[in-house]
Amino acid sequence: MEERSVGMEVKDIKIRNMKTEDFNDNEYLEKYIAELRQSGMNVVTEKLDDVINWGRSNSVWPFTFATSCCGIEFMCVAAARNDFARFGWEVTRNSPRQADVIFVSGTIVYKMAPVLKRLYDQMAEPKYVIAIGSCSISGGPFIDSYHVVKGVDQIIPVDVYVPGCPPRPEAMLYGMMQLQRKIKLENFFKLPKKPTVTADGNTEGGNK
Amino acid sequence: MENLEKIILSLAPDAKIEENTQRFTATIAPEKLRKVAEGLKAKGFDYLMCLTGMDYKDSLGVIYHIAPSNDEANVIVLKTSTPDRETPNLPTVSDLWEIAYFYEREVYDFYGIIFTNHPDMRRLFLREDWKGFPFRKDYDANPALNPIPEKVPSVESFENVPTYSIDKDGKLVKKEYPLFSKDEYVVNFGPQHPSTHGVLHLRISLEGEIIKHIDPHFGYIHRGVEKMCESMTYPQMLYLTERLDYLCGTMNRHALCACIEKAAGIEVPARAQYVRTIIDELTRIASHLIGWACMCNDMGSITAFIYGMRDREKIMDIYEETAGGRLMVNYYVIGGLAADIHPNFQNRVKEFIPYMRKMIKEYHVLFTGNPIAYGRMKNIGILSKEKAVALGVTGPSGRASGWACDVRKIEPYAAYDKVNFEEVLHQEGGTFDRYMIRLEEIEQSLRIIEQLIDNIPDGDFKAKVPAIVKIPAGEYYQRVENARGDFSIYINSTGDKNPYRVKFRSPCLSLITALCPLCDKEKIADLIMISGSMDYVIPCVDR
Amino acid sequence: MSSGEIFIVVFITAIILVSAALVIAMLISPRSTNEQKGEPYECGIPTRGTSWMQFKIGYYLFAILFLMFDVETVLLFPWAVIMKSLGVMGLCSVLFFLFILVLGLAYAWKKGALEWK
Repeated sequence: MEERSVGMEVKDIKIRNMKTEDFNDNEYLEKYIAELRQSGMNVVTEKLDDVINWGRSNSVWPFTFATSCCGIEFMCVAAARNDFARFGWEVTRNSPRQADVIFVSGTIVYKMAPVLKRLYDQMAEPKYVIAIGSCSISGGPFIDSYHVVKGVDQIIPVDVYVPGCPPRPEAMLYGMMQLQRKIKLENFFKLPKKPTVTADGNTEGGNK
Repeated sequence: MENLEKIILSLAPDAKIEENTQRFTATIAPEKLRKVAEGLKAKGFDYLMCLTGMDYKDSLGVIYHIAPSNDEANVIVLKTSTPDRETPNLPTVSDLWEIAYFYEREVYDFYGIIFTNHPDMRRLFLREDWKGFPFRKDYDANPALNPIPEKVPSVESFENVPTYSIDKDGKLVKKEYPLFSKDEYVVNFGPQHPSTHGVLHLRISLEGEIIKHIDPHFGYIHRGVEKMCESMTYPQMLYLTERLDYLCGTMNRHALCACIEKAAGIEVPARAQYVRTIIDELTRIASHLIGWACMCNDMGSITAFIYGMRDREKIMDIYEETAGGRLMVNYYVIGGLAADIHPNFQNRVKEFIPYMRKMIKEYHVLFTGNPIAYGRMKNIGILSKEKAVALGVTGPSGRASGWACDVRKIEPYAAYDKVNFEEVLHQEGGTFDRYMIRLEEIEQSLRIIEQLIDNIPDGDFKAKVPAIVKIPAGEYYQRVENARGDFSIYINSTGDKNPYRVKFRSPCLSLITALCPLCDKEKIADLIMISGSMDYVIPCVDR
Repeated sequence: MSSGEIFIVVFITAIILVSAALVIAMLISPRSTNEQKGEPYECGIPTRGTSWMQFKIGYYLFAILFLMFDVETVLLFPWAVIMKSLGVMGLCSVLFFLFILVLGLAYAWKKGALEWK
């Protein structure tokens, strides 16, 4: 296992001139690197990976998917005041085959769950999931309902969770930047096989 | 009231009239239901507001709210029930009021009551293979009975439509027929689509570009809000209302607060009434802005979308300064407001009013005169007034067809009886009228805010409310003019701190059901414009 | 370099760039297949019936009209490039060509082929 960096350190990952220490949860990133190394996946910081990951993280195209209220805040992120076009994410694709990330915004109910799974399966690798709002993290205000899925990570593997009801557009932008950091850490040439969801709801393999 | 009593007693002499109710309420036997319904329809009661299913523990029943369209304050509440809990059945009224076609499917879905001679007795929200009827009091909510499905159900389950009738021996007979024939070309205008304004699944049978038939499927965001309310206390229910129709969240919350306050006899101070009215009107402007922006976006004009969202952000800044929330404002509580208004509130609103007037002129210049927009909107989707009343299409879409259905004028609440404003009506009922009426209503809302903003009375912002809110036993109603129509709440209380039954009347269900007759023989591209002009929000339908 | 050689260089560069992009993408992309990826996308719901069925003749008519006027436009481009050197004679021949096609457009318009029925 070739590693240019020593121990847990990775090169300072700057997103839009925000340095690593300005983010709130860098311990998560360090744990993530340790897990990746443990499972045999390299975290490489060589130049080619850097360049490819720079290109990939700055043009992640979202999938137009919104079920309820968080979808309106998603539209606010797309609109002029909080503009996600400056991150390169502007092109929202309607077809899953052309999309990179799916923002699961809004409550997922039992009737919608297989549709979401089907759409997620139809997306092409590498693909990411950002769970927006408390409904998709855990069922949210509707957790007592007979028809609401208690968290979208029961059906698809999630990369970033953005809490809130609904989260402010700035919070969603922070979540997007976290995803960009995760993408920058990946070893592009050893991208793993399709990620799966295990029985206890945790994700295994893949883009954890 | 006496007039209504005479009408009911002449049609069903053994009807039981209830005393001391907010609205005139009569209970009739199920055998008399058809006769009373036909008689009422013949006397001009052509607006079926709501159909509520009820579980009275020993029987299952339905409550009908019917009003004449030219005198909407005169509402009759008809109750009927059947003690048979195994195969409960009642006669249908869907041939008298078209909107009952969907309302009865909803009651079947939640309570299992079969309506005989209804042309399509499928479930409305839940999957066809769902076990049990969720709103019954003895429903088994075990998740193992109804697990999350792995795969989307096959198309065959969407297409065989059961209908029930009573044969001469009095037994229930079930017949099935296919909705679409084998060689029809059926396309899924699916749950995931940028133009459906939410998760609406339409199955459209096409012939080339022309639509032959639309079959809507709801339930992709059905969260069981009404059932959840039965296990919550009254203050806990408030936050759910804002998540129903999130674009006019404050108006929904206002409806629930007003209903509970009226029922519990809490007197809301004038300051709170004025501020609630101002914030409701700001929400109406925000909702119309986003409706206009999304409609233009569907037509291809992304600039209009950005403009509409930009101005809506200014309203959300006002909310955020006073109440803390942008989309979910969380400002009204039982008894008044959660906190007093920010000292800057009046100035910001006063700055906003002339700015918005200028922007409306800009919108007209940008979009309304555009020949492409005009060609796509004029003479498309004409909804006549009779059809609007039969389908229960209220709100701006109903007013565009010439029906004066503004609840703020019919049953004024909060500070609406103290202001002067026009109820904007158009006569043609086309897509262009529904488009124009939203921009004109923004102007009227600005007028209302102008009249109120300088005259907010001093005083308390909240009345004294007991820690545990209990409502005396009985039935309570409140109607509110949502940005999309008549949003009504019905609370049935047994005196406990939880309600027995809560029903939210969704204005958006009528808007979607209007798509089916409107889009007959239109091109599929026109369907996008018609649904954009109807401006519905799906979580309000699915609750 | 003469214009012929420039043309060949541009042509070869175009071919090299496009094939390089495709080949590199094919070599380094991650692979993963599942059953749903092969199925058609229809807003998340499986499709109904077959796609090979009778379709409206109106589509064919629109396609033919489009094709004709598209070919006309393509034929106009080379004339537009060397318009000056051809002078008045060239202008007259092109105008004659356009006139015949406008006659065809007028006929189609009058017959209602431009409306969707």
